[in-house]
Amino acid sequence: MAKKLWKGNEAVAEAAIRGGCNFFAGYPITPSTEVLEYLSWRMPQVDRVFIQAENEIASINMVSGASACGARALTATSGPGGSLKVEGMSYAARNSIPYVLLNVQRWGTGLGALESGQTDYFKEVKGGGHGDFKNIVYTPASVQELADVAYEAWDVAEKYRVGVTILTEAYLGQMMEEVEMPPFKDPVPRDWGIDGTGRFGLGKHSVMMRGPGGMALQGKVYAQIRAEMQRWEEYGLEDAEYVLVAFGLPGRVCMDAVKRMRSAGVKAGMIRPKLVWPFPEDAFKRVNPQVKGFASIESTDFGMLVEDVALCAKKYGFHVPVYCYAHGKGVPGVSKVTDFYHSMENGDVKEAF
Amino acid sequence: MKEIIFAGFGGQGVLTGGLIIAYMAANKDLNAVWMPAYGPTMRGGKANCVVKFAETSDERVGSPVMEQADILIAMNEPALDYLSFCKPGATVIANSSSVRSDYPFPEGTQVVFADCLGLARQVGNDKGQNLVAAAAAIKTCGLFDPDYAVATMCQFFEEKGKGKFNDLNVKAMQAGFDAV
Repeated sequence: MAKKLWKGNEAVAEAAIRGGCNFFAGYPITPSTEVLEYLSWRMPQVDRVFIQAENEIASINMVSGASACGARALTATSGPGGSLKVEGMSYAARNSIPYVLLNVQRWGTGLGALESGQTDYFKEVKGGGHGDFKNIVYTPASVQELADVAYEAWDVAEKYRVGVTILTEAYLGQMMEEVEMPPFKDPVPRDWGIDGTGRFGLGKHSVMMRGPGGMALQGKVYAQIRAEMQRWEEYGLEDAEYVLVAFGLPGRVCMDAVKRMRSAGVKAGMIRPKLVWPFPEDAFKRVNPQVKGFASIESTDFGMLVEDVALCAKKYGFHVPVYCYAHGKGVPGVSKVTDFYHSMENGDVKEAF
Repeated sequence: MKEIIFAGFGGQGVLTGGLIIAYMAANKDLNAVWMPAYGPTMRGGKANCVVKFAETSDERVGSPVMEQADILIAMNEPALDYLSFCKPGATVIANSSSVRSDYPFPEGTQVVFADCLGLARQVGNDKGQNLVAAAAAIKTCGLFDPDYAVATMCQFFEEKGKGKFNDLNVKAMQAGFDAV
């Protein structure tokens, strides 16, 4: 199929539809609004449901309800809109309701700013709501990858009966790149759900319906996801002196920086997580045992990803410094990344862990 | 890899101008990325986009953000702030209707002046100043064959349902080719 230039926010919406999304409820907020705008005309065109809800809380609960009735349901948001949805995410997790949340991240705390950022990392990866639950969290780095994960998201959400978060960034939502859009697919009918006949209900796989042992069983589901969804892109790990870890657009910039440093004889290595939960721990098993250090490169203010990098470094026995380049808003350029790399080499920067 | 910054005031068509260049590359199956300046903007305020595209079918665009541009298309003087994101010896297409001729460009910069607004007006297409500028850059830097560029530009607008303006748009591009 021919490739076409797509804007990130529109590509993810179209790919979601082709992946079977048949229900959307959301409330507009920059920089995710174009997703809602696109779906507002496209969903009725393909005879699917689009609702601009009265607010974010209503929309996440509509998504839960629609999914419980068998829909492939989506909501999209950014920044403070995401904070409003976390109660609903926790309730969905308790009922093992699969759904997809798209977070087109804006930078910052509180109102934040319209700039791109990755400051929702902790919120999306470490739960974000009350209780102990996990969403699968995709972190695409190109418009094609963004479309691909949206296309796959409900298959994965339904397989494990968990929420799936697509964690993108303002810049990725705004930029255009050529995409090969996948064909429409027909979802496999579910053997559970509320259909008005009372035949199925939420079913025995629901945490809520499992009774007292429900959470223990859920631990097994999370362990299975951890084992089955290790995904990353890597470069030069086998002989790397320092390994950079970055996801999303900073990950893409780092990959560029690492390849350029390699061509200049610098032994740089790179891990780009394609998912940040589960974190691609297996990548760390492939790192040069003589590596001198790790660094997270991230568009946060004080470092978030760096904590998972440090935990993995410890788990796999690397007693080396773990550094953090917290760029703040925007996306760091190649020169910022290479400068930081050289400052690690020269001992000009203090480790985070 | 080519990196182009297309900058000016909102309303001068810089985002569309850059997008057409990205479209020309993508239509040749070359990896292309178009990144608009992002933030609160308004008509008359600053606007820019970055276009990066591969020069061979194997090459991929890495970093999508403004790094080291080969070409700066400056529709006004504030756009020349982006010279700090240009490679030494970069080419600047400067819109002479808004950029003074004695502007102190860094040494080694290859500057080509084109009266984008004046030429667009001459062909009766005031809104086509971005196309004049894009054509001037395409010819000066040999980015694409001019016939291919014109045909692809027409296809771009046709896909957007704006093909009825193509005669005027072709004239604007031709004026840009003839100006350099």
